[in-house]
Amino acid sequence: MPYPSLPFSFALRRVFRFRPTISLATLTLALPATGAMANELNPDVSLTLDGYYKQNDTALSHRDQGFGLGHTELSLSSPIDDLFSGRLTAVFEEHDGESEVLIEEAYLQTNGLPAGLSVRAGRFLSQVGYLNGRHLHEDDFVERPAAYRALLGSHYYDTGLRLNALLPTPFFWQIGAEAFSGNQLSEGDEDIGVYTVNTRVGGDLSVSQSWQAGLSYLHNRQTSAEADEGGHHHDHGHSHEAGHAHSHGASYTGENLYIADAVWKWSPNGNTREQQVTLSAEYLYADDLNEFATSDDVHEGWYVSAVHQFSPQWSAGLRYGEVELSEAHGDHFHKQDLQETDVMLSWSRSHFSTVRLQYTHQSATGFSKADNTVAVQYVMSLGAHGAHGY
Amino acid sequence: MAIDMRQSRPLILCVLIGLVSLPARADFHVFACEPEWATLTRALMPDAHVTTATSYLQDPHYIEARPSLIAAIGRADIAVCTGASLEAGWLPMLLQRAGNRKVQPGRPGLFFAADHAQLHAPHDHVDRSMGDVHPEGNPHVHLSPDQLPKITEALAQRLGELRPEHSADIFARYITWRVNWNSHREQWRESAKTLEGHSVVVQHTGFIYLLNWLGVGSTVDLEPKPGLPPSASHLSQLLTDPALDKASAILIASHQSRKPAQWLAERTGKPVVVLPGTVTDDPETDTLAELISMIVNRLETSVAEVSDGGF
Repeated sequence: MPYPSLPFSFALRRVFRFRPTISLATLTLALPATGAMANELNPDVSLTLDGYYKQNDTALSHRDQGFGLGHTELSLSSPIDDLFSGRLTAVFEEHDGESEVLIEEAYLQTNGLPAGLSVRAGRFLSQVGYLNGRHLHEDDFVERPAAYRALLGSHYYDTGLRLNALLPTPFFWQIGAEAFSGNQLSEGDEDIGVYTVNTRVGGDLSVSQSWQAGLSYLHNRQTSAEADEGGHHHDHGHSHEAGHAHSHGASYTGENLYIADAVWKWSPNGNTREQQVTLSAEYLYADDLNEFATSDDVHEGWYVSAVHQFSPQWSAGLRYGEVELSEAHGDHFHKQDLQETDVMLSWSRSHFSTVRLQYTHQSATGFSKADNTVAVQYVMSLGAHGAHGY
Repeated sequence: MAIDMRQSRPLILCVLIGLVSLPARADFHVFACEPEWATLTRALMPDAHVTTATSYLQDPHYIEARPSLIAAIGRADIAVCTGASLEAGWLPMLLQRAGNRKVQPGRPGLFFAADHAQLHAPHDHVDRSMGDVHPEGNPHVHLSPDQLPKITEALAQRLGELRPEHSADIFARYITWRVNWNSHREQWRESAKTLEGHSVVVQHTGFIYLLNWLGVGSTVDLEPKPGLPPSASHLSQLLTDPALDKASAILIASHQSRKPAQWLAERTGKPVVVLPGTVTDDPETDTLAELISMIVNRLETSVAEVSDGGF
């Protein structure tokens, strides 16, 4: 493996480098001075280490009890030319002693098409909901809310195409549509298995407060195909709780998935460095689960999260969420529900290191593994560190 | 609620025309990452529509790519920023989310002040154990009496390229600005004579260009490493630093927490001086020249107090 070591040393040298500053002019000036500057042309490399210790197994969880590695990510990104930029993110996971490498992102993104349009093509995280488009390492809690774990496999990514438009309004208003193969959500024969549409609005209420709200719709055309084969899949016991379901799509799907999300953030004078409060909430609803589903057979879930970063290095958070699911058993459904409360405290030595302590309380019907647990997690960023979204 | 289509058609048409014509308005929209660049741009183009992303009460390293900023940069004809990685945590995300062709990297609509200045302490080798050190050098260049004219000249030239019909006016305003700056600089040079050789305790390197220019030492830093907040162990260590005795004051910026500076002040008897790190809305400090004059005055006062106090 000669390659990983090569770009790595470069990345460390050029931590925090801001790509856009590299104009051709500076390059030509810098080249004769030192050979190291030629590395500007290498992609940014960033590595995220995520490890944890978890006291007990929990329902719908992607993290097994004991010591474990979470979402270890290796990401390469770079402008390609003045129109395109690209990113590759590989995720290393280990489950039941087997290592896996998953391609989570491999996309090109346009920069600066006319009329506020932008296109993304390849494999990427769908922009439905508030959390789904974010990388897992940006999260404030050890795991995504139960509704996300059940309906989106924590984070739904797939291969396809996205078209977004930023509307020329005085406030922020974005509309977007995506088309995906759909196979990362549920298996099927359709060429285009999933469509999504999404709109987001947002702005500032004052210098200290900002907000964003969004509505998303995801149309999954492959649920009936899954019901034929997948029906048996879920027949015996709770196979979705086994390790193999960790990130290969969602365990619970429906033809229509609707998501509403809202976020409000407050920091005195807008100085997020010293203090910030983030309130976020999402509601997810899925229906038309398969051809046997009646109008009562739906999936529904929501969560509310409050996180207070009370000093530059410390955050505390509380999250409550519920999910009510209909598990397919051949031609009928079994109801399941899960209520989950998380309390967390995290410490970040710098912007690039976080250690988190979390207590999770679960109460459930229809889940064998529901339990309370304490978890300790670290998330460390090495190398280039991309800019975060809102 | 039935709406008569015949009546609503003109309304729909108006809305559509309004939406289409919005981006084509003649206004010149400026997105300034920090207030210092907003005030400079206004000095050169008073009619420009300027949105400022941050204020003197905010740490410019830690700004969120929030929706209002995406909308603002989406409208911009030019984005005027510091560069040198200062905005690395948020500007790339804004540029990508807004997708505004005019301000993309490599286009004339993206102006970085640091590209037109000689930065302090550039590093060939940087790693994170050193803290948040920018390999390009210290980006807080806006308080440098000698670098500002170069930056402003480059900005005037860039604005002139983007609005050729106004380039003569812009250049004339630059000359006025330059004359004013030079006369201020003479005053600061006078003040430097009394300030030279003194030193202050700082938190981060935000004022270092000006302090160095004035000959004021600033080797004692409340931050253990650049970008890391002051820690109890580091502050206790500072108490034994021989350079601390010589410092006339503890100088921090308005956006920084007062606590670490006050802790040190209680143990050393040194005054805490809180100064805006950049221009404010206050008419007395709403231009860079006024701000620097104010900082110089405050430094003179604290140095004088220390001498009177018999230190």
